[in-house]
Order: sequence, then structure tokens, then C-alpha cells
Amino acid sequence: MRILLAEDDAMLGDGLRAGLRQQGFQVDWVRDGEAAERELASGVYAAGVLDLGLPRKDGMDVLQALRARRVTTPVLVLTARDAVPDRIRGLDLGADDYVVKPVDLHELGARLRSLVRRAHGQAQDSLRSGGVMLEPAARQVSLNGEAVALSPREFDLLHALMRSAGRVMSREQLEQQLYSWGHEVESNTIEVHIHHLRRKLQPDLIQTVRGVGYTVLRDPETT
Amino acid sequence: MTSPRSFNSLRARLLVLVLGLAAVVWLSAAALIWRDARHELDELLDGHLAQAAALLVVQQAAHHDDDKVADAPALHKYAPRVIFQVFHEGELVQRSAQAGAAQMSAVERGFSTVRLADGSEWRVFATQGAERDVQVFVGEQIASRSAILRAVLRSVLLPLMLALPLLALAGWVAVQRGLLPLRHLSEVLGQRRPEALEPVVLQDVPAEMQPLVQALNGLFGRIERMLASERRFTADAAHELRTPIAAIRAQAQVALGAGADEMERQHALQSTLAGCDRATHLVEQLLTLARLEALPAGAADMVDLAELARRVLAELAPGALARQQQLELDVAAPCRVTGSELLLGVLLRNLVDNALRYSPDGATVLVRVALENGQPLLQVEDSGAGMTAPEMARLGERFYRVPGHAQPGSGLGWSIVRRIAQVCGAQVEAAPSARLGGLAVSVRWPGRDGREA
Repeated sequence: MRILLAEDDAMLGDGLRAGLRQQGFQVDWVRDGEAAERELASGVYAAGVLDLGLPRKDGMDVLQALRARRVTTPVLVLTARDAVPDRIRGLDLGADDYVVKPVDLHELGARLRSLVRRAHGQAQDSLRSGGVMLEPAARQVSLNGEAVALSPREFDLLHALMRSAGRVMSREQLEQQLYSWGHEVESNTIEVHIHHLRRKLQPDLIQTVRGVGYTVLRDPETT
Repeated sequence: MTSPRSFNSLRARLLVLVLGLAAVVWLSAAALIWRDARHELDELLDGHLAQAAALLVVQQAAHHDDDKVADAPALHKYAPRVIFQVFHEGELVQRSAQAGAAQMSAVERGFSTVRLADGSEWRVFATQGAERDVQVFVGEQIASRSAILRAVLRSVLLPLMLALPLLALAGWVAVQRGLLPLRHLSEVLGQRRPEALEPVVLQDVPAEMQPLVQALNGLFGRIERMLASERRFTADAAHELRTPIAAIRAQAQVALGAGADEMERQHALQSTLAGCDRATHLVEQLLTLARLEALPAGAADMVDLAELARRVLAELAPGALARQQQLELDVAAPCRVTGSELLLGVLLRNLVDNALRYSPDGATVLVRVALENGQPLLQVEDSGAGMTAPEMARLGERFYRVPGHAQPGSGLGWSIVRRIAQVCGAQVEAAPSARLGGLAVSVRWPGRDGREA
């Protein structure tokens, strides 16, 4: 899952990025409000972590501008402002969650997963398609009840596809969701990962729509 | 009204004053009346004595052949208080009933006051006939005059004595009613919740109480502003402490979760330590500021700015050298100011520390001690990025940090500098540095002569 982190404090931003990466998130880090707004509006992020006291543009203003532009990316506000009126204002302006510093990194990860899940209309954390079950928190995948070992990239790719089950994802969209800044993506990487996933799981799990992209069929049981 | 404590009561004080003054006025009036009445009475009665004596002389001239001593009858209840004697050629020829045989007075003409054998005092008028053979004495008892005076005084003072309690009652009611707005105010204040600081609004406040109510409302306003600033400070402080703590927590957790990645763990642990240093710095600055806020303004001892600058720069030089920053001191003239050496040290340390902190590695920071038109000047210039005008305007807002700096700061340095300057009677001003291109902060002591002492 690719996450945008907007935090102006160098030490905290560094810690949050490292902590979220440890939990398997792809994290891009911006340090001011204008960059946060620009990046979140791009739509490539599964969710955003937004500090309120940002230079150039306050977090509240960023939130308001994003929602005014109909950007629906889930946003978790992470701030030191703990006053109830601030919380109310943040949530009313379009924050999907409001967390006061300091925060446990695992809790932050869980909240982000929960935000993304809700944004895709899922009630449960685990995702199912056919005999395949994916558990984002544990980063585990099983086929017919038996655990299957996947590389982190393979897991992320499967997660992105299963999260958007029933929708066709282009290769560019998948690349954007998988790779944070600074990671060069080779031209056939996605194809290689898809090939591995089909081999390790089920051949018909991921279907190719020629000239458009890939999709995982929506499982009738879970909808 | 007897204990001194009750004079702390406005009501008692007013009442005592009013009644006391009324009594004094009355007593003075009574004294005047008494003096006047006595004078008039004396004149009138003396006149009567003389008249009576004249009548007796004329009468004696008509009957001087009658040698028998005649005793005149007492015709009036006051008659015993008036006596007379008529002598003809040395012999008593006529007298009133109470008069003795001897001459009443040694004075043979005019008024005299005598004490008779029975101890009573008399006012006597003596006169003689045209041929000096007739000697007439007419006397009147002094006591009767006093009785008349007393009656006059009684008639004046008695109503006053009766009126005094009535006046006291009326005065008490008047004072009570007059002080009603005051009591109303104290009730309004008494019913206030301690945190209520909105202005007192009273209908029909008397003119004398307007300044009091205004002063009170002014005080409420100041307390309100002070409390608001305190609350903001507490909120800001909590806010500012949360970020370093969140960073420490996040880094510690990253170190815990680093697993086999030794590099990541090392980095996270180093960051945790740096975060602790930063939180310590913040807390120290907060405490300094809190102590400064409680400090009254006022100068203490003479401080040699050049000496002070040498000491502070020596202290900060190692940190500057570690970042290849050049730290210079330029003492153009010896310069002494009044102020606390300790506080001015904190001020200069904050200014130089800010300049070093927010200038890049290899930058130059110049501290200058000089006289400007005879006035002391302490200047800290740097070759850093400087500041935009809006950023300069926001300097000194507590916890304001110029954005875009990786260097951690408390955002309190300027608040501390401002407060110390205020305490030491100095002015602080930030401007672009013409010499080094960064920021130039000048501390001036207006109206002081830096050369003296």
C-alpha cells in the first residue's frame, strides 16, 4: 500500500516513514502543505497521513482544498492539536481519522489499513477471492487454508488487485501503487510478478484484459 | 463606633461624621446664642436697675421730710430677687423687704457686683440725688439672671437634644440608601464565579463609582488577557512537547522493529537520542521563559558587553567549529550597560545560537559590540539565508519556527530574547544583514550612554 506522509518535523517524519515501511507500507514523505495537496490529489496513494501544522499551507486548508476538489483518498490527520474543537473541525473538514501525537506505529498502521479497507467498502480486514485469502495486517496469503510464501512485492501487487476486486487496473496504476519514490521500475516487472502469483496461487486468479490491464474477479461470497 | 475597626465601615464613618458635625454646629450656635442673650439681658436688666434707682431718687426728693423707714411690699414673685435701699443724709429711709440696713455696696455711683452676708451675689446700681443727700442702691440677684439665661439656652438646646436621635435615624437611612449602589456592586462581585472575567455592567452607576467600576473592568480585562496568554502558552507548550516525544517514540519503535537490519536500528537509536536532546532543550527553554515571565522589569548591575560576548562566544565556539562555521567577535569600543549579567548572557547565547543553528555549515556569524551615537549596541549578524519580511514579523511569537529548517529549535529563543530585553530596558530589532547577507539582530539601549561608568 502506498501512503503519503506529510510531516514537517524531520525526526518524526523519518521515524514514521521507517516504522510504516517496516509494516510493509510504501511511504512517500513530503514536508509542506502545498506538496501534500499536490501529491494527495494525484490519486496514486491508498491513504495519506497529514500533520496539521505544516509550513506553506496548514493541514486543515489542505484537507479542505482536497475535499473541495472531490479527492476521496482517505486522510488520517496526525497532529499535536488535541483540543476537542480541533478534532471536530478536522473530521468535519473531511479527515477520515484523527490521531493525536504521539502514536504507536502499529496502531497507525492498523488505522491506515482500516481506512483503506473502508474506502473500498470492505467490512473485514481479510480479502478473499476463490480459494485465496489475503490478510493485510499479518501480510499473509493462504490458498485453500494453506499458507503460501510470497515476496513483499508479490504480496503488495496481490493486495492492490484484491483491494480493487472487480475493477481492471492498468500496469501504470499498479506500478504507482507499488513503488514509492526513488524506486526504479523495470518495464516488465509487473508482468513477472503476475506470472509468479498465477503460478504460486491459482492460474485463473488474475485475469488479463488485453490492452487494458489486470483484474481479480469479485468474490460473490464476500460481497 | 467606639472600636477603631468600625471606622473601616463607610456607613459608620459617614454617620459619625454627619452626627458629630451637626452636634458641633449646634453647640456653636448655642454658645453664640448664650453669649448674645447674656449681653442683651445684662443691658436690659442693668437699664431697669438704673431706671428704678432714678425713680427712687425722684420719689425720695418728694418725701424727704418723712423720717420713718418705709418697707416696700413685695408685689411680684420676682420681687425677692430685687432689693433697694434709700438713704437720706446717711440714714436709711426706705428699703425693700429683703434689703438689710447696711449699705449694699461700697460703690456710691454706678454698677458693682457684691456678695452679701448670706453668700448671694448681687448686681447693684448706686446713684445719688442732685444735692448728694439722697443715696439710692438698687440690687438684683445674679442668680436670677443666670436662671433666665439657662431658660433661654434650654429652649434652644432641648429641641436639638430631642432631634439628635431622629437625625441619627434619618442619617442612617440616608447613608444606607446612598450606599445602595456600592452594596449592589459588592453583591454582583460576590456572586461571580472565579473564572468570570467579563466586564461588570451596572445600571445607574453614580458618578463617584464610575472610576471604580471602570478600574475594576480594566483589571478584569488585563487578567483575562493574561490568562488567555497563559492558556495559549500551556496549549502551545503541550503541542510543542508532543512532537519531539512522538518522534522519540516512533524512532524507538522503529529500532525495536528493525529486526536484522542493523543499520536501520543504529539510525533509529541515534535519532532517539537526538530526540531526547531536543526535548531537553525545549524544556530548558520553556523553564527559562517561565522564570523570565515571573521576573519584574528593572536593571541591576553594570555589565561589560565585550567581556560578556567573549564568554558566550567561547562557550558556543566548539559547536560552530564542528560545522565549519566561523564565529567572530568585533569589539569597536568598550561598552557597559546596566542589567543582569546572567540574563544578558542568556539573551546573547540565544541570539548567537539561533544564528549558528539556522545558518548552513561553513557560514559566518559576527558579533559586534559598539557605540552608536554614544548608545550601546550589540549586534549578531550571520551569512545564512536570512528571512522574508513576513517571517521577521512573526519572530517572537512563541513556538514560531521559520519553515524549511531541518535544524530542530524550540521556537522559544526569540520569546526569551524579547522578554530579557524588556526586563533590561533594551530594544531588539531584526533586519537583513548588509555585510553578511543573512540576518542582523541589533540590541540597543535607547537613552543610555555606553561610555559612562
